[in-house]
Amino acid sequence: MQNHSQKKIEYWLAIQVFIIIIFSPINAFSSNIQLSTSVDKNKLTIEDSIELSVIISGVRNPPSPNLPQLSNFIVRPTGSHSSTQIINSQILASVTHKYLLIPKKEGEFKIGPVVMNLSGSIYQSLPISISIKKPNINSNTNRTVYTETSVSKATPYMYEQIVYTFKLFRKTKAINLNLSMPYDESFFRKEDLGKSKRYSKIINGIAYDVDEISIALFPTKIGKSIIPPSIMELDLVNRTQRNLRRDPFARFFNDPFFDRTTQSKHKILSTKPIKLKTKPLPTKGKPKHFQNLVGQFAITASIGKENLDAGDTTTLTITVSGIGNVMDVRITSLNLGDQFKVYPDQPLFKKTIHGNQVGGEKVFKFAIVPFSTGRQLIPSISLDYFDPDTNKYNAISSNSINLSIKPSVNTEKLNLIQPKTALHQKNNSTVSILARDILPIHTRLEDFESDTLVKNQQIIYIFGVLLPVLIYLIAAGYIRYNHQMNEDISYSRRQVAHRKAMQKLDQLSTSTLRSKDFVRELSQIVREYIGDKLNLQGTAFTAKEVEEKLNKNTFARDKISSVKNLLEKCESLQYSPFVTLNENSLIEETTKLLVKLEK
Amino acid sequence: MTTNKLYILSTVLLLVLISTNQVEAQKKDTSSQVTLANEFYHEKNYQAAANIFEELISQGEKNGYLHYNLGNTYMRLGSSGNAIRNYLQAQSLIPRNESLNANLRYAINQTQDQLSPPLGGFITSVFFWVGSTTLLEHFQVLILFNLTFWCICVASLYYRKSLWKSLKSISLTVLLIIFFSTGIKYHQLTNQKLGVIIDKKVAVKSDRSAKNITLFELHEGAIILVRQEDDEWVHISLETDKSGWIPKDSISF
Repeated sequence: MQNHSQKKIEYWLAIQVFIIIIFSPINAFSSNIQLSTSVDKNKLTIEDSIELSVIISGVRNPPSPNLPQLSNFIVRPTGSHSSTQIINSQILASVTHKYLLIPKKEGEFKIGPVVMNLSGSIYQSLPISISIKKPNINSNTNRTVYTETSVSKATPYMYEQIVYTFKLFRKTKAINLNLSMPYDESFFRKEDLGKSKRYSKIINGIAYDVDEISIALFPTKIGKSIIPPSIMELDLVNRTQRNLRRDPFARFFNDPFFDRTTQSKHKILSTKPIKLKTKPLPTKGKPKHFQNLVGQFAITASIGKENLDAGDTTTLTITVSGIGNVMDVRITSLNLGDQFKVYPDQPLFKKTIHGNQVGGEKVFKFAIVPFSTGRQLIPSISLDYFDPDTNKYNAISSNSINLSIKPSVNTEKLNLIQPKTALHQKNNSTVSILARDILPIHTRLEDFESDTLVKNQQIIYIFGVLLPVLIYLIAAGYIRYNHQMNEDISYSRRQVAHRKAMQKLDQLSTSTLRSKDFVRELSQIVREYIGDKLNLQGTAFTAKEVEEKLNKNTFARDKISSVKNLLEKCESLQYSPFVTLNENSLIEETTKLLVKLEK
Repeated sequence: MTTNKLYILSTVLLLVLISTNQVEAQKKDTSSQVTLANEFYHEKNYQAAANIFEELISQGEKNGYLHYNLGNTYMRLGSSGNAIRNYLQAQSLIPRNESLNANLRYAINQTQDQLSPPLGGFITSVFFWVGSTTLLEHFQVLILFNLTFWCICVASLYYRKSLWKSLKSISLTVLLIIFFSTGIKYHQLTNQKLGVIIDKKVAVKSDRSAKNITLFELHEGAIILVRQEDDEWVHISLETDKSGWIPKDSISF
């Protein structure tokens, strides 16, 4: 049995040692711990990236290495892998950490030593020199991938639409495309021009796949501005050439799923910044109420029904369409005079793309109710815009509309009291909503008093919380006192003893008793008091007995002696043949004694 | 009565009289200002009306109807963002006012994003009355039930019957519910900041800079939750788990 438990302990110890060996950074497999770094290339352009490999060999589960300060690069860890090899019964373990370094600017840089702290020992790699040059932009023709940006106009007018286009030319497949097209929000308002286009183009006999995306920019400030470079980040996929005929399985494994013959290369392509100069709109010929509309526009008007009754409603629809900043069109009033009541609706804007430009249609609807009968004219509504192609201000007008309004068929009746049947008929009728509006403002002045808690109210609220608790405590104390007085006789006698004795002393002081009777009565009061205090039956006890009783109830010695002296004094006065008595001093002495006993 | 006591009593009386007069004078002044603003509103001089309402609010007047009228004025001025902000402030003071709720719905419908105030979580659905009662009403009910509970406690001490003990348990439960409800309301008012977009269009950024990526766009009148604020930027979120940073001057809260 003992042998069995010893084996069990040995077994557990072996497991623990194995776990420690596996998971602790030990260098038992090889005494030669090395930290080295390598890059896939050290001469590159700003468009390329470097793969930095940090290899730690001779140790298993090493701590993470510390990279040097790489302020000239964007560093992205791309993963790590470990390997263990057994060569000639020697175990060789190594861990490789990989990083993608994206250069921020051109120049000669040095990747400093990578440092690793292993159990207090410091290991470091050798520095690597990197040379980053400008890409040869002049000879775009032979490049695998390049980008271009352009604007439709370098000197636009304020609010004139310019189209900013980005193009990516590539000879090979590209994946993980990420484009950033920044623009100065303080100078331009942006409108998207839909999804990117993809097409093929032959440049100098070389076929390129082109990805093109455009945005519309509307300048909102006069002066010079710069559209910052657009940055495209992507992975180029290159297929390595292999002799497919020799290997019968090559065709099968050449499938991208197996990805054995492809290599990806990370690229960051940056375009040149574009300078723009925004011109102010010409002042010559500028209309008075010009709404900053720049482009080409058209305006039309239509009416729901041309023949209607007075008080009836119809909808006037004004549509402004065209290319440019159509979304900025505002028609707030129709200037229809007092002949119509007008209820405007929220305008609706629908964006459309015309070729490579943004435009659209803005629809304004007004519910109108004619007041007077006869033929009425809705005048044409005019709109001014600036055409940048002709450099002129143009005015466009909608068609005017004639309305024929007949007198209302239904005359108003004063039906102050309506029969129920009539009410039912009314409920079945459909009421058409002409327009919706907010409900009116509140005018009852009494309701405008401040709702904040003033200090007095705060005090009242605090009292409201605390006062009931205080009342409860007082009531609880009083109820408890009453309860004890009714249920516990000794307690009630003790509580009333002093008051009862004092009342009797008062009565005695005003009485006309003879001296001996006075003394007897006084002695009786004191004994009754003692009886009440100690809950004793009857009052027929001597001074000696009183002393014993008080002693038992742990009264103070001086108090006991005072009581005894008073009672003895009373007894001696009671039984002496001649009595000369100062009644007041005796009452005073008794009162003092009772007060002393109460303390 | 000594001379000192007479002096103190007369001073207190004078102070009470002066403060009462001041309060009355202030009430009269507020009423005349409101009347004037309402007249401006009816004369369609909305900017003048808005100026008076804003002035009253900046003076510390906290009244639901004042915010409601200012909200209406901003609606007439075409500033739906400021209108919705004032309607929301009015809702915390007069939550059951039907005209206010109708106008708030209307104003939200006029916005492009049509974002309504957040409904709240599980606790607010259990304490369903929290949204439709003010903090002041909560305090008043709390005081009433506090008084009721302690009175029942006194009665149960006096009568010592099982009926009073049951009543004591019931009233304690009600008091605790009201106490928690008041706490939730207080938490909502102090910690849950609702903001309204006042710019026509705001790009919500991934971090505190205009150069960061635009996550989504909000338009005037969109109601959002304000999570965090610093000098120039505010971190906001929508109920649909969308969140980001916007410039502080594009939001009102």
